[in-house]
Amino acid sequence: MNTMLPLQNGDPLITVRGFLRQLLETGVVEAIFLPLEVDGGATLPALVADPAWLDQADPLTPVMPINSARAVSALTNKHSPARLGVVLRPCEIRALIELVKLQQATLENVTLIGLDCPGTYEVAEYIEGKHAGRITLADYLEVAGDDRQPALVGPSLRPACQMCDQPVPEHVDIHLRLFGLGTDQAIPVTLSDEIAEKLGLSQVSQPAADGRQAVVDRLTAARRQVREKELAAIRERLDADGGLASLFATCIRCHNCMTVCPICYCKTCLFKTAAFDHPPEHYLNAARRRGAVRMLGDTLLFQLTRLNHMSASCVSCGMCTSACPADIPVGAIFSAVGAQVQAAFDYQPGRDVSDPLPLITFQANEWTQIGEEK
Amino acid sequence: MNNDNHFEPHILAFLCNWCTYTGADLAGTSRLQYPPNVRVIRTMCSGAVDPVYVLKPLLDGADGVFIGGCHPGDCHYQTGNYKTRRRYVALTEILKAVGFDEQRVWLRWISASEGQKFAETMTEMVVAIKELGPNPMRTSWTV
Repeated sequence: MNTMLPLQNGDPLITVRGFLRQLLETGVVEAIFLPLEVDGGATLPALVADPAWLDQADPLTPVMPINSARAVSALTNKHSPARLGVVLRPCEIRALIELVKLQQATLENVTLIGLDCPGTYEVAEYIEGKHAGRITLADYLEVAGDDRQPALVGPSLRPACQMCDQPVPEHVDIHLRLFGLGTDQAIPVTLSDEIAEKLGLSQVSQPAADGRQAVVDRLTAARRQVREKELAAIRERLDADGGLASLFATCIRCHNCMTVCPICYCKTCLFKTAAFDHPPEHYLNAARRRGAVRMLGDTLLFQLTRLNHMSASCVSCGMCTSACPADIPVGAIFSAVGAQVQAAFDYQPGRDVSDPLPLITFQANEWTQIGEEK
Repeated sequence: MNNDNHFEPHILAFLCNWCTYTGADLAGTSRLQYPPNVRVIRTMCSGAVDPVYVLKPLLDGADGVFIGGCHPGDCHYQTGNYKTRRRYVALTEILKAVGFDEQRVWLRWISASEGQKFAETMTEMVVAIKELGPNPMRTSWTV
């Protein structure tokens, strides 16, 4: 059902807080997961059980310190302990859908609340920009309307957001439609009839959908262009001799990319075991054989193994790039390679929980030439 | 070993216990000749070959990696080799995407009774890898 949230105090943030409070107070959800403001100007994802805490909620925050699909995995696991509301960005929803397929989370008892996402800043740059008054909510919300990046002066969006071509959430129970919205207008919401009834909301016609669609189309097309350009540049570097080694030349194997990756869920990753702790002679022998050998070793092995294990499910959230201390465009590399793997299996991560993961399913009559003599 | 005139490739072969390993055994007991460039590792199923097992030798300089499994439909565990096939598709897509020569990785279905086919396939692979030349990773220090 479509309805409108009338603007409270002329402030979209207060309006959304009020709506979420209503969800909690009417018992539609028993607890709600969303970003809370913390001292110092940042926000952190949190699970809120007491509606009073929603005064600190900032679901419109333009930062994502983590991909919150990881948090929803922790909150729900095999079965959710209560009716939970979770406020997520589109890339977090896509990651969550992959985690459900990987049996690391469930959507049962979970009310997915999705927002149109204009993009996010790196946390440190956001805090600095906010203090300096360069980042304002109004500016941030209006970006999509006239095709520009938010706050042109100062920090820019995270690289993954600059090339995000899926900024609208799919498969949500409640969709807050922020694109094409003036900050002085009521907020269009689409939600299930059942939830609307519990909240006492009735159908209100939303502004003409084509106006919003035009905004979404323009934003998506512009960002897809950036994406194609970025990925083409990465592919060109990969195609060059020693391209992969050169892209990861500054990798210090800190494993940050794996730690922040919402898809890398393994409790004991092979690379956190002693499997690659070789005896000292191993390195000396390798150096003698090759003339010299990089320390710490197995860097490309780590990256290539991760590509094999998770790139089919890579949702391009770019947390890996944000977490990389060596400024390697990990996310763009994984998106570039992942897109090729996903195309081979005609698989789109995060599209639908009923699409099976490409590496756990099969058809008897596919790729029948593989394994036969050439 | 490494000069162009006489290049003897190092090939690592992961053979499934139920079909290809037994086929290799048959090749041996039948005294069939095939080049000695192949080092065999027995796995319980070709589906148990994680891509990391293939990547590690490739990055360490092996010139070829062979995976042998049961013919589709004949897997001892019903579906292991079908999954191998999909993993092989993903692996070769990734190798191609990152600029590795995916022709160094072979997947073949060879049954327990196909000793002759095993010997022939090994011969064929050694010839093919000799044509490709040594794996450039052999001399790369930045792996």
